[in-house]
Amino acid sequence: MPTKIDAQKWYERNSKRIGVPVDLIRQNYREEFEGEKDIGEPLEIPDKMEVFYKYTYGQQSRFFREIRENQKLYGARCKKCGKVFCPPRAGCPHCFEDTEWLPLEGTGTLVTYTIVYFSNSVFARKVPFVCGYVKLDGTDFLILQSIYMDDVEKARPGMRVKVCYQEERDGRITDIYFTPVDE
Amino acid sequence: MRRVAIIGAATTKFKSRWLDRTYYELAYDVTKEVLADAGIGKDRIDSCVYGMYNDLFARQYQPDLFAHDYIGMAPRPAVRVNTGGATGGSAIRMGMAEVASGMSDVTLVLGVEKCNDCFNYEAGITTPEVLKSINYTADMTYEFPTGRTAASVFALAVIAHQEKYGGLPTREQMAKVSVKNHRNAVKNPVAQSPKLLTVEDVINARMISYPFGFYDNCLYTEGAAAVILASEDVARKLCPKPIWITGVGAALDWAFLGNRPNLYEFHSSREAAVRAYKMAGITNPRREIDLAELHDAFTGTEIMAYEDCLFCEPGEGGKLIDQEVVEPWGDLPVNLSGGLIGCGHAVGATGIMQTVEVVMHLRGEAGERQVKEARRGLVQSIGGIANAWTVVLILEKEV
Ligand SMILES: [Zn+2]
Repeated sequence: MPTKIDAQKWYERNSKRIGVPVDLIRQNYREEFEGEKDIGEPLEIPDKMEVFYKYTYGQQSRFFREIRENQKLYGARCKKCGKVFCPPRAGCPHCFEDTEWLPLEGTGTLVTYTIVYFSNSVFARKVPFVCGYVKLDGTDFLILQSIYMDDVEKARPGMRVKVCYQEERDGRITDIYFTPVDE
Repeated sequence: MRRVAIIGAATTKFKSRWLDRTYYELAYDVTKEVLADAGIGKDRIDSCVYGMYNDLFARQYQPDLFAHDYIGMAPRPAVRVNTGGATGGSAIRMGMAEVASGMSDVTLVLGVEKCNDCFNYEAGITTPEVLKSINYTADMTYEFPTGRTAASVFALAVIAHQEKYGGLPTREQMAKVSVKNHRNAVKNPVAQSPKLLTVEDVINARMISYPFGFYDNCLYTEGAAAVILASEDVARKLCPKPIWITGVGAALDWAFLGNRPNLYEFHSSREAAVRAYKMAGITNPRREIDLAELHDAFTGTEIMAYEDCLFCEPGEGGKLIDQEVVEPWGDLPVNLSGGLIGCGHAVGATGIMQTVEVVMHLRGEAGERQVKEARRGLVQSIGGIANAWTVVLILEKEV
């Protein structure tokens, strides 16, 4: 006689394999092991795809280090047309000319925004929040960022904002955020 | 360039979950259907183009390899296309290039997508994990970490449009698009979400990303769609009702939205439409097109698409829904299939499903949804961050 598999051990093995708590595995597969299933019914199996990185910022490295170490925001100015990019880029896509670093004031204007009420697994606990495109003073393009506001419904295009720095900075773009400026 | 005809067209049922099919099994089903529709055997196929968007949905890199195997197309040449939501339109464009260039006489273009194998164990539902898989298409350094979703990015564009044009489109205009597309889906047997809603139902639904509520969003869908393209010689021999692709236009805009000249119009959509009209010899799209399938990922963006397809002046898209021009009884019906909101958005298959819809109308085989005297139709496929990609196709029947 073939031996029956132990459901509890299956929950535990798969919990470990995909890094999901065993009670959540049990909850979502209880029917498979504790209900009546025909041998040919569709069978669902837990899985995940995962890759680790130690990635490089390349020519944008200084931008992130200035934020993390000095709480300074930098743009990149094209040496030919003078347009200023933030997010920065090493070369201008219009002129194919190098850019140079330029310190920014960190103030700007909200051009357009949305209030996110439903987000993905990573952000599900943070909603609602405002994110929008900000035109930083002294730059020619826009940057997408979170705008921290007590009342999210007060967000409006044209609103003045300023950059703020997280207390714990990781070298990621989330080290900065914007808040409204009272004017 | 050789003329290219559509000689076969098929769509599987669009639904939230095909629990009893894998993606390559769906590819198999739709291949069988499209060959039957064209009345040919697989031996007539010279090459294949696959429209498949998300490897994370499929839990598989290069899923086209296995679809190609499953439908028995070895050793024919094949290529996979992925331009996000525009994948279906782009796949048809690439298939068209195969045939128009003379490299192939008959090309199978097949789109398939299965998103709801993604699963969030904590919430016990699929959606947050589906959204996460989609979000990996945002720039990983600057934009993914902000938590924006596809809905947010299109919302940003609609808010910019409202700011530019005095609050247009209005909440009511957007809600009417949702009501129309859900209602159109009622007459489409393959649609995922046939519903009779009121404007109030749409406005009162829970908020997803301001100004979009639950019913302003398209659906997550699993399904497949396919067309068979043929050269004029072959089409005339094999097909009693060939539908000709007389125009195609494509464009890819700046992907960091901050680099675009403005956010209140979709430049790629405008560019693609202009190119397609030029090729098809269309000078007055509002009068010369009998029906359109537009990429209504969100209600507000369908209204922006009326403008970007030059059906009206910039800023005036909302009037077309107010004046019922785009309703099934209007003179330019839009999304009779139900579109992405009513029929569903099986990403890689969507643009092909919408092409199949137009083909059925032009053949006079659209059943209850049939547009009277449909001679020429338009399909718009968009994809990537806030309409980065657009493909516009013009389809015509023999006159
Ligand atoms: Zn320059």
